[in-house]
Amino acid sequence: MDRKWRLRGILGVVAALTVAGLLGFIVLPVVQGSAAGIDAFTAICRAVGILPGSPARPTPPSEAAPEPVTKVAWTAATFEALYRADRASGARLAEERCIACHTLEGNTPDPTIPRNVGQSVFALYKQMQDFRSGARVNETMSPLMKDLDDRQIADLSAYYGRLFRGAIDPAESGRYVGIDIENIVTNGDVARGLPPCAACHQARAGGPIETPTLTGQYAQYLEAQLKAFASGTRHNDIYHRMRSVAAKLSPNEIRMLAIRYAGQ
Amino acid sequence: MLRHRNLVLAHLWLAFAVFAVAAVFGVWQMWVRSPLHAPYENPQNYFLSVTAHGVSMAYVLTTFFVMGFGYFVAETALGREIPAIRWAWAAFVAGAIGALMAALTILSGYASVLYTFYPPLTGSPFFYIGLVLVVAGSWVWCAIMITAMAQWKRANPGRAVPLAMFGTVSNAIMWLWTTAGVAVELLFQVIPAALGWTDTVDVGMSRTLFSWTLHAIVYFWLFPAYIAFYTMAPEAAGGRLYSDTMGRLAFILFLLYSLPVGLHHLFMDPEHSTGFKFVQTTLTALVTVPTLLTVFTIAASFEVAGRLNGGTGLFGWLRALPWHRPMVLATGLAFVMLWFGGGGGLINMSYGMNAMIHNTSSVTAHFHLIFGGTVVIMYFAIAYQIWPQLTGRTADSSDFAWQRRQLWLWGIGMMVMTLPWHWLGLEGQWRRVAHFDYDDPLIAWWGKWVDVSLLGGVILLISALLLIRNLASLHGRRAAEEAPPQPMRYALALHPPAHLPPALNGFALWNALVLVLMVAAYGWPIGQFIVQPSPAAIVHHVDRPG
Repeated sequence: MDRKWRLRGILGVVAALTVAGLLGFIVLPVVQGSAAGIDAFTAICRAVGILPGSPARPTPPSEAAPEPVTKVAWTAATFEALYRADRASGARLAEERCIACHTLEGNTPDPTIPRNVGQSVFALYKQMQDFRSGARVNETMSPLMKDLDDRQIADLSAYYGRLFRGAIDPAESGRYVGIDIENIVTNGDVARGLPPCAACHQARAGGPIETPTLTGQYAQYLEAQLKAFASGTRHNDIYHRMRSVAAKLSPNEIRMLAIRYAGQ
Repeated sequence: MLRHRNLVLAHLWLAFAVFAVAAVFGVWQMWVRSPLHAPYENPQNYFLSVTAHGVSMAYVLTTFFVMGFGYFVAETALGREIPAIRWAWAAFVAGAIGALMAALTILSGYASVLYTFYPPLTGSPFFYIGLVLVVAGSWVWCAIMITAMAQWKRANPGRAVPLAMFGTVSNAIMWLWTTAGVAVELLFQVIPAALGWTDTVDVGMSRTLFSWTLHAIVYFWLFPAYIAFYTMAPEAAGGRLYSDTMGRLAFILFLLYSLPVGLHHLFMDPEHSTGFKFVQTTLTALVTVPTLLTVFTIAASFEVAGRLNGGTGLFGWLRALPWHRPMVLATGLAFVMLWFGGGGGLINMSYGMNAMIHNTSSVTAHFHLIFGGTVVIMYFAIAYQIWPQLTGRTADSSDFAWQRRQLWLWGIGMMVMTLPWHWLGLEGQWRRVAHFDYDDPLIAWWGKWVDVSLLGGVILLISALLLIRNLASLHGRRAAEEAPPQPMRYALALHPPAHLPPALNGFALWNALVLVLMVAAYGWPIGQFIVQPSPAAIVHHVDRPG
């Protein structure tokens, strides 16, 4: 009697595992793989999980060498480097290299040059690194960043990223330019697949971490950047986020959004 | 009168008090999601509330109820002293302190990470340490249950362990297996991160470890309901249990197949291969077997009772059942909810169909209907059934009437709340979202159905408060001297098992088979993270500003 129940229990479990395993690791991957042009061995290895990819779909071929849009990754090491950055050394570097355009206060009077003041350490770090790696190109900034090292860029970010005098007050910035633009900011446009700007850009930086502060930035600079994203000449946005957004905006919307965020 | 009634009452009162408070949070959450304007409405409060509601309902209500009910069963079904009673009290105190620690951290906004944790989100370490205390308390309970059964078996060689105790010990053993996953996750990943000892966490690993726990924990909650189906409902219906063996099989199958199935919570996760997801889907399908066995057995037991009561014809026995008894009524309502909730569950566990409802309200609807509905309504019925033994007060017909009202409100409220959720989930309404823009024409029509769900929530809250009223009213009454309550009687089987094969009277074989299943189902899915570590995520502290 007991032997019978033991046998039933063991056979039940073994049968369940065998049937599930045969189907999941052999039959399904081989059938799906053959439909997708994947050989049986690869398909089985994928189903088990020792080779990457799906047993049912071929991996899309790509001629281009994988080149990330940015070399900045927000790893623990990056954060640590930024937390350890030396502001004083950043200030000395700023005096040597940045003062002519950005001023030491980060508050340039030229509306084609972005204001650094009010930006986060992370936003500044990412843009400077992108100029250095070539992910973002600007004829003035690119050569200036190329001969800096990681440490110097972190120091500079720490210097400009922690300036508060003259920074914009989020409560007072932003300007109402009509309900249509306000709708894009807060709701996006479902029909065009436009996410709301406010999903990332909030009164201050917002998120993801590298998101720049838009409020109080020069309208001319913002407009130029949106156009650069729209045309693809600027392409250091992760996952194409800004390129896909900007390409869906009309030139007038781009101008009005720039004015709305600039608050001027 | 029960010797350790205070122990059981302490557990049950704590469970139901927390439950009533959590019900208020639940209704407020529905209110926030609806087009109506709710007070204190903002996303921070919403996620705080979701965390408080989830932790209270999923960890505190359930764990303390299961423990309290287990002690009751151990004393009444075995007719013996509960072993190590001081340890039982110590476990209760540890669990209560842990629950308080978790509650305080959640309410002060330092642990809005939901009850499923979601690393790399990390809350205050007090939150996790509090929950570890609750779990540690429940481990003591498991040890006591297993010891009680072992002692009984030694004293009664060759006799069949009473079914209620067999079910309780199945649950204790399953719980020990179940909590291994979350314990490893908390102790080695989440708590070190919360304390600031580590900066990164392997999210793939933590999700996998949590999935180890996440499905079987549901069956831990569900066991008391099934124990009541088998050992209380047939007796309350005035009949006998159709088959004792079927009950044992159901409990054993739950032990075997509720564990190696957690990957069905990770169908959309990229870190696991299709093969292992498929294997666990297949094993999940086998969990339906004990449920179907139970529905059959209990329906058969009820038919026996109905016919003994004079019912005739194909369905006449249904009408002849004593529906005025809370346990019978609750079983009926539980089965109705099980029908819909189980159907939803079949969709969720199917590797293909799951994609339709992934992360939608349909999932929330499913677990509210099956757990909040089928299971919790049986918690109520159990409490009503054993309250006279615990308090020494006999319920009269007016008490029964109030208990029935409470059960009906719960059944109706749960259906009214969850059926629109299911539908909206199929239409794409996402879960875990604090705010919907009902001005958007695409989703404007959802608004009225969310209002209907809110109405269901309000009915549930009324029912929750009524439960407290019913229990307190009986407990607070002067003890009836003339008619002390009858001692607890569990349902007899039509053919009571005189002798059972050891396989159906113990757990050695089944533990070995669980090990085989777990190694087969989780060996590589967990091992891969050790063989080939994946990029870790940066810990994000929700309890620190900025």
